[in-house]
Amino acid sequence: MLVMTLLGIALAGALGTLCRYAMTGWMQRWLGPAFPWGTLSVNLAGCLLLGLLLELARQTGWVPAEFRTIAGVGFLGGFTTFSTFGVETFRAIESGDWMSGGLNILLNVVGGLALVAVGIGVARWLVELRSSL
Amino acid sequence: MREMEGEQLLMRIFIGDRDRWQHRGLSDVLVELFKKEGFAGATVLHGTQGFGAHSIIHKDSILRLSEDLPVVIEVVDREEKINAILPRLDEMIDGGLITLEKVRVIRYRSHRA
Repeated sequence: MLVMTLLGIALAGALGTLCRYAMTGWMQRWLGPAFPWGTLSVNLAGCLLLGLLLELARQTGWVPAEFRTIAGVGFLGGFTTFSTFGVETFRAIESGDWMSGGLNILLNVVGGLALVAVGIGVARWLVELRSSL
Repeated sequence: MREMEGEQLLMRIFIGDRDRWQHRGLSDVLVELFKKEGFAGATVLHGTQGFGAHSIIHKDSILRLSEDLPVVIEVVDREEKINAILPRLDEMIDGGLITLEKVRVIRYRSHRA
């Protein structure tokens, strides 16, 4: 079972990485090169999805334990990127663009926390909706 | 060491750092070609930002946009020497830009021994 979980994490990680590559490219082309929109978008989307996934796993039986690990550690681990956020923030500050650097920290960290909360909120809403049916 | 002075031609080759020729970096191959052909010199400049015919901006401060940063190779030599190499360059360079302009060389020498 452990081997299957490890294999699932590896495959989901590869898929998450490819999704990150595609989404960062689309977002950068769409919103322009002035700000690292691509990294921000995958980090925010990842926070939202992980919040949703983990809360659903905690409150319901809808998410099998293996799927939670494979999707949370594998797919979303490959999809989001803290290191790129760090490098791009550093580059902005190094070049004297404190505004972009500060905004990047604010949007990634505070925005990420906010979207985890939104994901958890959506999960709780789904649970309540299900129990009221 | 050969001498060079007076009016010469400056060739600038604009490519991307992902450009390849037969699985090798194109800028490396071009510098080796210019050396082999006895050119007076070649300089490779790495750009931090730019765009080309596709109008996609590449910049080194955003990881996803740093995949094909600009590279400029500058060569100064006689007009006939540069004209003679142009067909080879046309064959090797898939996407890019080549410009020629007249320059006046006022100094070309190696370090004093």
